[in-house]
Order: sequence, then structure tokens, then C-alpha cells
Amino acid sequence: MSEETKVKYDKPIPLKTIDNTPYWDAADRHELALQKCETCNSYNHPPGPSCSNCGSVDVIWKNHGSDIQGTVYSYVVSYRPFLPGFQNDIPLVIAVVELTDLPEVKIMGNILNGNAENVTIGKAVKMVWEDVTEDRAVPQWKLA
Amino acid sequence: MNNIRNKYAIVGVGESKRSKNSGVTPLHLALDAARAAIADAGLEAKDIDGFMSYSENDSCTPHQVATYLGVRPGVVKEILGGGSSTELLIADAIGLIETGQAKTVLIYRAMNGRSGMRMGGGGWSTDLLQNAFDGGSFLIPYGAGSPGQWFGLFATRHMHLNGLTQEHLGHVCTSFYEHAQRNPNAFFYGKPLTLEDYMQTAHLSSPFTKHDFCLESDEANAIIVTSTERAKDCKSTPVKIMGMAARQTVSHAHYWKNLDEVASDYVAPELYKAAGISPEDIDVASIYDCFSWVVLRQLEAYGLAPKGEVGDFVAAGNLRLNGKLPTNTAGGMLSEGYTHGMNNVLEIVRQVRHEYAGTNRQVENCEIGICTGWAGPDIAGAMILSK
Repeated sequence: MSEETKVKYDKPIPLKTIDNTPYWDAADRHELALQKCETCNSYNHPPGPSCSNCGSVDVIWKNHGSDIQGTVYSYVVSYRPFLPGFQNDIPLVIAVVELTDLPEVKIMGNILNGNAENVTIGKAVKMVWEDVTEDRAVPQWKLA
Repeated sequence: MNNIRNKYAIVGVGESKRSKNSGVTPLHLALDAARAAIADAGLEAKDIDGFMSYSENDSCTPHQVATYLGVRPGVVKEILGGGSSTELLIADAIGLIETGQAKTVLIYRAMNGRSGMRMGGGGWSTDLLQNAFDGGSFLIPYGAGSPGQWFGLFATRHMHLNGLTQEHLGHVCTSFYEHAQRNPNAFFYGKPLTLEDYMQTAHLSSPFTKHDFCLESDEANAIIVTSTERAKDCKSTPVKIMGMAARQTVSHAHYWKNLDEVASDYVAPELYKAAGISPEDIDVASIYDCFSWVVLRQLEAYGLAPKGEVGDFVAAGNLRLNGKLPTNTAGGMLSEGYTHGMNNVLEIVRQVRHEYAGTNRQVENCEIGICTGWAGPDIAGAMILSK
């Protein structure tokens, strides 16, 4: 009996794997969780089976909540869809964002209200979450 | 590696026909390239006792190539890889020859890069892509599925920090296209590019226009490596390997974490140490050019132009035939053809041999050449060659 009111989401939905599930589970709750090494104290993003800095298996997940600020570390603006599902998102801004509170962590996303004119390196952005299915959400960025 | 300086040489190079639709399998292309390289060296197929290749699961096996040359070699080896794999395999070949496991090794790259599996993408399942490389789940959902986008992220930041402009990218493209006008086998032969035209070309994905992307072609290239001693039996002019170096990682595991360093930065000091020369000794260059910006970044990494002055260096015409460092003189992957770098290896060998002497393609009096490979920010290899 569900009403088909929502536009179907054609873009790839992040695959949950043995190593990244806590990240995407947190995203579904509109939160950011990051993997942290308890041995060398570095953050690992993207996460992995052990610490990508020192190899320690003593890695934990830390919840950083929903107020995530950053600045544009680098970006591109794509004018053709290089993957299926993005044909309605052109031009597409893909940015690597440096987290304000954890500059060692860089997280890729699209800047949803960004374009070739208003995005520059160093520009302030904040994380938002796009609900893409009933139970999945994708972290994205918006100009702050 | 100092003890191998000038002990090994490239004695044969060859290629298949280059096209956009070969109509044959990569095995046919590989056999054509291998036969051409063997003939160039003045050898017979049975003289080759090692066959090696790299691919992205888009080629034929060295076992097949040996088989259909009628040879039963001691060593066959294939690796997964793209840019810089030629240099990595030459190093492996030298290791095998040095330890007596092989005498003469043929290395090839064969691909239907346009009509078959295209590096630029297309037709792949996005779920497959998310699993295809580490961290794929953090890229693919955002539409970042093309090397042009991944390298573009490096380029945007590096250009921003170093005062490089769209025009500087344009100078790389127009220099290489100019070379292609002297090479009838180049895809863009007869299709010159002016800076004005370049500047009016739209971005496909910033900061890259279609001219900044490499080509896609169906072709195979092959080279033959043996000892300098054994090279005396070949009819070709041997091109000696003065030194080589490679690097498979950078200091951090994930390459979008720090866009300010690339593997080439690590390769350069090892390379010059191995060859016993300095950047200013180099007369001619083949610089891996999957994208125009990658050339600028490597000129900086290898000290071929001073950091911060790379843009001025290319704008002054120094990559052109009469410049300080004629580079990718057959047109490179931007305008000649694309075999994950091996066509650039063939060209540097021909330049250092002076094979073009008496034509408008020869870099006059060139003695020492550099050849670099770049698979990505985290994988690079390079070698220095001399007559």
C-alpha cells in the first residue's frame, strides 16, 4: 500500500562491508562515526580491518554526532556522468573536505548547493544527510 | 642498484597497428608487436626466454604469446597494473637476468583500449566498482568513477597552491599535439591544437578538457631487455639503462588524505642516485601523460623544472622539439596513442638511439633520456637511458 511519492534513487548506494558498516550505519542515523586507533591515536578514513597508520588491530569507532563542519580541501566539477545514475546531477561538484575538528580526516562528498562559481578551496561546508531509501542515508556537503 | 648501471639494455622495440577498432584480439596485437620488436633487435623468437606483461584483466597472457611465437620459455610473468608497470617489469627482468634465471626478456602491453575494455569507464556495475578498490564505497556513491575525477582532485589543489593555470595545462597539450603533427602514426596527426582553441574547449571534469585526457586506442607495444654484453649480438643500437627506481606507496595509506605528495616524489632521488646523474643532464623525456596535469606534477617531482616555476617552464615552450626538454616527442598518450605508457617507452628508446636522425623528429645530439611512469599518486616508476 506504499505510495510511490518519492523519486527513485538511481545512484549507487554505499555498500556496507565488514570494515565500513559502522560508518554507514551511523550515516543512516544522520551521524558521523569514524574509526580511531587506540594504539597510535590516528583516525582512519576510509576505515579498514586494522589501523592504516600503524597496523594495530586495536581500532574503535567514535561517534562525532551530527554537527560536522569542514573546509574544501580540493574539488572537481564534472560536466558529464562518469557513472550511471548521475545524468540528472550535471554539473556535479565532488569535493574532498577537511574536517575542522580533525584536519587529518578528509571525507569525499558532493557539495549539493555548489557549482563552479561558488566552490573554492578553503570554503566552509557542513555535513548534511540525504535520505536515499527508506532506511539508507548518504552523507553529503552543503556550503555553510 | 648502482651495480647494474649500464649493465642492461633495451635492444628491441616494436608495435602493432594502432586503431580505434582493431577487429582482432589483444593476443593478435601482442604477437604483431612482439614480432616487430624481435625483428628490430635482429633476434629470433627462440632467443627470448622470458615473457612478461601487465594488464587490467583486458589482455592476453605471456604464456599465450610465447606459445604462438613457437617458443617454450623458462619464465612467464604477468602482473596487474597500468602506468609505471613497464618500468617495474624491466626491473624484474633485470633481476632475473642478473640471477641467471633468464637471458633475454620480452615485455609487452596489448589492449583493445578503445573497442574493448576502456580505462575511461563505461559499462561497469557500480556495485562491482565499489568493491574493486579499497575505499570504493566512499567514492562511487558520489559519482567519482573516473581517473579524470580522481586525478582532478589532485590537480585542483596542486594548481591552486602552485599558481598553475588552465593555460599551463594547455601548453602541455599543445606541445604534445605539435609533436604528433610529425608522427603519421599518431591519432592526432593532422589535427593540430592551438592554445586559443584549447582555451575555448569546455571542461569534461575540471580542471580537464577533452584535450587533457589521454586517448584510448587498440594497440600493443613490446620491448626486449637483455644484458649490455649480449646486446652486442643484436643488430640494433642498444639503449643502456643507467638507473631505475620505483615506489608503490606513499606515507599514508589512502591517497585522498594528503594530496600534496605523490609516489614520484619518492622515486626521483633514488633514480638519480642509481643513474649517477642530475636532472640537468637529461636531454629528452617521456613523461607519463594520462592527464596533462600529471606531466606538470612529474616535472616538479623529478626536478626537471623548479617547483613553483613549472608553469613558466612549459609556457616557454620547453617541452617542444627545440625546447630545453623535448618531451613525449611522438605525441604522448595525449595525442599519439595509449598503452598505459609503453608507447612513450618506445619513443624514448628511438630518440636515444637517434633513429630519427635526418628527419624533423630527432632531438639533436640527445644522449640521456628519462622515462617516467605513473599509475596514480601512490605508484610510480622511472628509468634513465643512454646511448
